[in-house]
Amino acid sequence: MKDFMLIFVGTSYEAMDLSPEEMQKRYGNWFQWQQKMEADGVVMKGGHALHSGVRQVSGPDRKITNRTLTDSTSAEVKELVGGYYIVSAKDIEHATEIAQGYPDYDIGGTVEIREIMVFNR
Amino acid sequence: MGNPKIMSHLFRHQYGKMIAALTRIFGPSKLEIIEDAVQDTFIKAMVAWREGIPENPEGWLMTAAKNRAIDLFRKLSADEKRVLKIDSGTSAIALGEVFLESEIDDAQLRMIFMACHPSINPRDQIAFALKTISGFSSKEIASALLLKDETIKKRLVRARKSIASLDLEFKIPQGADLPPRLNRVLEVLYLIFNEGFHSGRKEILVRKELCGEALRFCQMLLNNPFTKTPDAYALFALMCFHSARLESKVNAQNEIVDLKNQDRSKWYFPLVAIGNEAMSNAVESGEFSTYHYEAAIAAEHLKAKSFEATDWEKILQYYKQLFEINPTVFNMLNIAIVKLQIGKLDKAFQNLEKIQPSDLEQRAYLYFGTKAEYYILKGDKKKAISSIEEALKLVKNDVEKAYLQRKKQRWENQEA
Repeated sequence: MKDFMLIFVGTSYEAMDLSPEEMQKRYGNWFQWQQKMEADGVVMKGGHALHSGVRQVSGPDRKITNRTLTDSTSAEVKELVGGYYIVSAKDIEHATEIAQGYPDYDIGGTVEIREIMVFNR
Repeated sequence: MGNPKIMSHLFRHQYGKMIAALTRIFGPSKLEIIEDAVQDTFIKAMVAWREGIPENPEGWLMTAAKNRAIDLFRKLSADEKRVLKIDSGTSAIALGEVFLESEIDDAQLRMIFMACHPSINPRDQIAFALKTISGFSSKEIASALLLKDETIKKRLVRARKSIASLDLEFKIPQGADLPPRLNRVLEVLYLIFNEGFHSGRKEILVRKELCGEALRFCQMLLNNPFTKTPDAYALFALMCFHSARLESKVNAQNEIVDLKNQDRSKWYFPLVAIGNEAMSNAVESGEFSTYHYEAAIAAEHLKAKSFEATDWEKILQYYKQLFEINPTVFNMLNIAIVKLQIGKLDKAFQNLEKIQPSDLEQRAYLYFGTKAEYYILKGDKKKAISSIEEALKLVKNDVEKAYLQRKKQRWENQEA
């Protein structure tokens, strides 16, 4: 088994003006995905949801004071990372199969699947 | 929804409760911030609950919303804060008590009265109530009322502005102020109900939701000792009786089915029983409102085992009494329709002659539809068809249009 990171990229809920009914439905879909993974015996090693505020640090200069800091909110960032899960899977195909259950494809969400490297000690 | 542990519509109903409780603390002029706080809270819950629902989801939401509102107020500029005054008058209660179940009910009732305040434009009242008490989004309200999202957004802004600029009190009116204000509340609830019941929308779900909300609001009135008046009971009964027939009004092909052809076995009798119970409370005082007569008429229809078995004489009697206290063209038209049913054709025509179709406004097509019925019963197919064509020109609702068209075709295909 290998570990994969499923990274959720897309617009944030904040920017979408969802109604309470829609939010409950969307939440229910996430809960169902979680339940399905559990039922399928998928081992979830971790995961987090991320706040929508983003600070970017950039600039080639070595001097810290010359770096550029940019603060933005979810509404301004199109490709926002909203969170991630780390799951165990046989291979990338298996990880893809797990990612099919992600509930926000219909609102333009994307799942990026990355295998986590294992280093020999 | 697939998640068995969370009640359906929990978010939506909780939205109304949270808005009302927070309005009680921070005051109606701060509604915009309160709505933002509640919205943020649900977004937070959507993520925080992914791995499991908290023991007490309602309590979780309420606490999170309160904290979020306090957060948002902290971020306000000093200037904005100066305007903010937390309600500390005689109606102020300890902060913790605001979140007791009974106090939340009370706060929602205050919200209903504020939504139906006479200084708010009547059209804005419905949108505002559906947003603030029912937790519908502007998009959902627009779709339910067959209006543009922009229109609803404007109405909501206007309602909020009126509330803030007039500094409306967040309370249930008392003493002599109560009866007229309660009357207006009942009117608005009946309007919301009718938006659902007579909707041009084909989706039965949306229509059921509007009717359901009107019933829910009315139930809130009946839970309070000052607002559970005979009229409120009668309106509740009336809405129960109508709702019992909602499912059978439209067939599987989304076509309107008239009373005559409805499958009476599809009527939902548990609701009729609830309506009957409300009706017995409504008639105790012996003073009858329009809702009493309308409920009595609806009950009479439900009592009949078949369309033919309907006691039209009794219904006519009720309509006449209704007309006495509420002489509208609509009630006159209904009298004419009932008279056609019992074969009093000429008398029905006399009633029709007293009606100016334009007084029926967007329902003027009903007048011509009834006139067409009169002519067909008289055996004058030519005049019947020209009347129904008149009706077809005026009808806006697609479902009703299709109904009239089918009727016309049937008549045209009949042998002369």
